Amino acid sequence: MSGIQLQDIRKSYTGGPQVLRGVSMDIRAGEFIVIVGPSGCGKSTLLRLIAGLEKCNEGDIRIGGRRVNDVAPQDRDIAMIFQNYALYPHMNVRENIAFGLELRGMAKAERHARAEEVARTLKLDAFLDRKPGALSGGQRQRVAMGRAMARNSSIFLMDEPLSNLDNALRVAMRSEIKELHRQLGATIIYVTHDQSEALSLADRIAVMKDGNLLQFDTPGTIYDRPANRFVAGFLGMHPTNFLPIETLPFWQGKAGLTVGMRPEHMTVHTAAPEAPAIPARIVFSEMTGANLMLHCESDVGRLLVTAPRQEMVGAQETVWIGYDASQAVFFDAGSENRVEHG
Amino acid sequence: MKPDSRILTALALIAGLLFLSPALYSIFMSFQTVDAYYTGKFEFTFENYALAIGQYNFARYLLNSIIVAGLVTLIALTVSTLAAFAFARFRFPGGNLLFAAVVATLMIPSHISLIPNYLTLAKVGLLDTYAGLILPAISNGFAAFFLRQYIRGIPVALDEAAYMDGATPLKVLWRVIVPIARPAIFAMGLFIFISEWNSYIWPLVAVGEEELYTLQIGLARLYRVNPGEDVINWPLVMAASTITILPVLLGFVFVERHLVRGITMGAVK
Ligand SMILES: Nc1ncnc2c1ncn2[C@@H]1O[C@H](COP(=O)(O)OP(=O)(O)O)[C@@H](O)[C@H]1O
Ligand SMILES: [Mg+2]
Repeated sequence: MSGIQLQDIRKSYTGGPQVLRGVSMDIRAGEFIVIVGPSGCGKSTLLRLIAGLEKCNEGDIRIGGRRVNDVAPQDRDIAMIFQNYALYPHMNVRENIAFGLELRGMAKAERHARAEEVARTLKLDAFLDRKPGALSGGQRQRVAMGRAMARNSSIFLMDEPLSNLDNALRVAMRSEIKELHRQLGATIIYVTHDQSEALSLADRIAVMKDGNLLQFDTPGTIYDRPANRFVAGFLGMHPTNFLPIETLPFWQGKAGLTVGMRPEHMTVHTAAPEAPAIPARIVFSEMTGANLMLHCESDVGRLLVTAPRQEMVGAQETVWIGYDASQAVFFDAGSENRVEHG
Repeated sequence: MKPDSRILTALALIAGLLFLSPALYSIFMSFQTVDAYYTGKFEFTFENYALAIGQYNFARYLLNSIIVAGLVTLIALTVSTLAAFAFARFRFPGGNLLFAAVVATLMIPSHISLIPNYLTLAKVGLLDTYAGLILPAISNGFAAFFLRQYIRGIPVALDEAAYMDGATPLKVLWRVIVPIARPAIFAMGLFIFISEWNSYIWPLVAVGEEELYTLQIGLARLYRVNPGEDVINWPLVMAASTITILPVLLGFVFVERHLVRGITMGAVK
């Protein structure tokens, strides 16, 4: 088992701008790391550097303590799952899974036995003789997983492995991947642009933007104490409300800060409450399951508020929006970094 | 069967027969005695084949043609597949320039290089050898270009997956690229084989020794060595022609199955 250290990694493709601008991470052996960020922020590039498929311009990559900047991908003992699976179209499922073993010199009977064992864990045993072209999207995804698992690598890299699946399958595979991580005990680095995948899978999340690592911490910390306004806005099922502190009734005499308020920490009242509240008008509401998502208009701006369904029977003209001020996160209005605030 | 597809089949059959008719006629003629041919009768005989093989050494020419066209195809495919892989997948200093040079060779008529090739081979003493017949044909710019284009259409992620699986570049080429590019490689191989089989000028120039004649040279000589004043032994020529075209036809029937299977296999993203 091996940890991975990234030290001030910089990368630009020939003739292009810098894609990674000094990324450092210390990943412990056995951790499930999710790299998340908007598309184009350099997630895949970072993963490919770790895999050895690209070379970095500056910085050190260490795996298990060994510097691997100049080690070829096939010598890094890393398994990778590609976004489009990259299954070998001319090989059947058994051969696809066993190919890595064959290249490492394992005898035919042995590697086929191993492939079949892996296929069984992934419920692929009925498709061993099929070519990838005759499999569904979910089955192909499993073959890609099986190919990575067969070799017992200590590190798995996954680049948006579920993004081509429909929603139900994606959620199901999510828990399977989590379970797999528990069984294998391997280090997993998982790239996604989907914040809910990040929150549900990761031991630690790395949030990236424009080639910078903004925050690298546990899902709980990232959710509750985001490093800056971007992280606060990017993670979470619903968009956070960002408002200047001077416009809000919950604090007095403060200025120069932006407050991040999550919709679930806000409450809706049909009559003016005793505590401070913002008068608002419901523009429309969305059903999100157990809750309603209320889009409100107020003098301070647009507000998103979640409310239990039964509480709001029909849309009301005027409401008062209260807030649990202890949940607030504050950002410097200029730099947009989070600041501690009493 | 729907009626219109029956009509199509009939049309295709007629067109096929039309294309085949010269070959069928020459095969028919090759089993005829020369006397019968000139008197407008028909008399069945194997004599023409016996003559072509026994007296005019066509078995040897056939062997030479197979050796030369076969080796050229094999070596040219190997060289151009390697080159195509390099041009399609690797960036190296001077790579673009080198590829431009390969493409430029497509614009040079082969007859222009005839004399330089001849002089070069003469200098190294390879005239009148198999090597002399084969070597000038093994670098095939068109094949390198064509296969490079095909390989560029194969997702790079497949290469990368194989590297992650532990493959070396040559393993990636042999186990991933070549099987996927098989229809293109087969098509190119067929193309090279046929053009080499039919090649006339270069063997004519490079070889003087009768033991190294290819079929095309032997065939052309038949007009001249024929006995009889101003009379050409057409049935004999046709028997030699049949010996010349039959292997190619058989080869095509064999390879064509692979071509079709390869094309329908398709690639998966
Ligand atoms: N092979 C490449 N050549 C040039 N630019 C590239 C290449 N791959 C990625 N890029 C650029 O690098 C940036 C980051 O890409 P990528 O790492 O794929 O982002 P992500 O995976 O986060 O969407 C993008 O702007 C992209 O256009
Ligand atoms: Mg990506």
